[in-house]
Amino acid sequence: MKITDTVRRAGRSLRNAKARTLLTSLAIAVGAFTLTLSLAAGEGSRQYADKLISSNINEKAVFVVKDKTLVGGGAVGGSGLKEYSPTATQYGGLSIKTLSSKDIARIKNNPKVDNVLPTYLVTAQYITFEGSSKKFTSDVTVYDPSVLSDTAAGTLPALGTQIKDDEVVIPESYLSTIGVKDAKSYIGKSVTLHLVKAAETPSEEKIAQVLATQGTAGLQALAAGETRDVSFRVGAVTKASATSLATSTGIFVSEARASELSDFLTKGTPSYRSYVAATAIVKKDANPEAVKKELQKHGMTARTAKDMQGLLFTIVNLLQGIVIGFGVLALIASVFGIINTQYISVLERTQQIGLMKALGMRGKDVAKLFRYEAAWIGFLGGVLGSGAAWGLGTLLNPWITKQLGLGEGTYLLVFQAIPIILLIVALMLVAVVAGYFPARKAAKLDPIEALRTE
Amino acid sequence: MIELKQVTKTYGKKQNAFTALDNVSFTIPDGASVAILGKSGSGKSTLMHAMSGLDRPETGEVIIDGEDILKLKTKQIDKFRAHKIGFIFQSFFVQANEMVSDNVSLPLEIAGVARGARKKKIMAALESVDLLEKIGSKAKNLSGGQKQRLAVARAIVNTPQIIFADEPTGNLDSVTGAKVEDMLFGYNKKNGVTLIIVTHDPDLAAKCDMQINIKDGKVESIRDLKKAPQNSPTKTRIKVGM
Repeated sequence: MKITDTVRRAGRSLRNAKARTLLTSLAIAVGAFTLTLSLAAGEGSRQYADKLISSNINEKAVFVVKDKTLVGGGAVGGSGLKEYSPTATQYGGLSIKTLSSKDIARIKNNPKVDNVLPTYLVTAQYITFEGSSKKFTSDVTVYDPSVLSDTAAGTLPALGTQIKDDEVVIPESYLSTIGVKDAKSYIGKSVTLHLVKAAETPSEEKIAQVLATQGTAGLQALAAGETRDVSFRVGAVTKASATSLATSTGIFVSEARASELSDFLTKGTPSYRSYVAATAIVKKDANPEAVKKELQKHGMTARTAKDMQGLLFTIVNLLQGIVIGFGVLALIASVFGIINTQYISVLERTQQIGLMKALGMRGKDVAKLFRYEAAWIGFLGGVLGSGAAWGLGTLLNPWITKQLGLGEGTYLLVFQAIPIILLIVALMLVAVVAGYFPARKAAKLDPIEALRTE
Repeated sequence: MIELKQVTKTYGKKQNAFTALDNVSFTIPDGASVAILGKSGSGKSTLMHAMSGLDRPETGEVIIDGEDILKLKTKQIDKFRAHKIGFIFQSFFVQANEMVSDNVSLPLEIAGVARGARKKKIMAALESVDLLEKIGSKAKNLSGGQKQRLAVARAIVNTPQIIFADEPTGNLDSVTGAKVEDMLFGYNKKNGVTLIIVTHDPDLAAKCDMQINIKDGKVESIRDLKKAPQNSPTKTRIKVGM
């Protein structure tokens, strides 16, 4: 018997039992619905995470640290007791291994690296904004020229260019905290960082010398440390974006100023010119992954943009896995539905099977007939479930985007044709497997016995 | 030519064994119409199953066209039935939910006839049983007589060499039954197809060229009505015992 004939006969016998076919395939449709939605949500979250990362992390950037615990598993600082390391820096009681200027030079000298940007720690005791008498605290970080943010006011330099040394870029959200309504009016206003340098640990000779020349007042000044006020003018105000993380955190200064201020703050301390982390920008034709490996040979830990993506994707994949698990459970339930229906179908059609076998139909063709019926049920269920999920998802997408504040043009549910087609094919296979035993029963029927059944 | 040699078929085992066919031997010439007569339980249906390859007797030979079909493998037996045999049953066994054309198409599909070639054969078969105008109807909308004519069309559509009819008129009234009988005998004479009718109806049997009486699994008598129309029974029990 030709396959097309078998498929057509299978389809016809299903049409002759419409209600039963529909109900059986609805069980599969529930599974298909769940699986399609979870596939779409997974794809949507991945695309969203992708967007999030590409608008925040330069894909040519490699994030380098000395202390593995900063990026790898385990608590920062690990267990309380650690081996002493002369290059480790204490941060609030935490001992973190830092990158020395030697390490930075090593990164810089890598032929594949275009540029290296250490993470300067500029800790201002407080910050004052023009037009406000209050004192604020905020992170102060280096402006990342590899990512261009949207601005609410002012202009940012072209991609790849640093901001001017006397400028800062502040996020729009800061203005509302300060109490400024019009972002445009704030361009050119001044922002002052009040920096306090930690006191050096003076040597005994120095103490004796200061005591001799300046008396106790001099000694007090030596112990109190040094303060410095640095003023900037606001160059641009960045807009809050749905996908940009950077815009919400900190005041951005140029690299040169960050380096200068960081040096001022740490001079004379063990942290001088040693950095918790650094970002290496890899040359255009170089592979960040290769740079990562080379740096790891030198005892540094590196992360590429891909690794960051991987981290986010791990979470997305885990959540998706859970939803898929529910879909699979629904499918398992539907498998028993198919087995049951097909067994009844075999019993109902004993005579028909007997006739077909008497007329010379091969047992395996009879089995095929029932397997194709199961496949049709799987196909129908898959199309119904996936179609419903697609339709509902497309309808609800704008609403979900609005509720979650994902930003214009970003959808949580992204339906792709190929995974859905593969899903339907997989459902057909599942149905065929479920139809195996009923089909075998049909194939083994004795035609004489079957024709005797009334 | 169909030749049976010492065919024995038993059901059950040891003490419960029941001999359905006991050393049956006879020969049927090509193109003959044969009635297998016997009471219910006499073994006539088993005989039909053995001759058509549906059943496998333990011993003996069933030689059709010089080939012992009992020696064939299942695959070859299926092929043999699909290409050389047509079946008609007492309770029709037409597929009620399917269209008349799909019912007739079944043997062609099983035999692997290409789709293009089927249409013509289906039309011809329905034409010869006078059902052409019902080609698009569902089989369940046909009357009893029409259903059996449909079964006849299904039996002849693939131009078989032998047609087995198991009580073909048993479920029909005499008028519709007569019409089906006429069609069967007409086809038998016109195309030289061997027609084997299993029946307990002596009137139907009387219309055949040959009668084989079965009793308790044994051939009681074989009458050749063609050669001896004057109703003289010729007991031809060939070879009793092994």
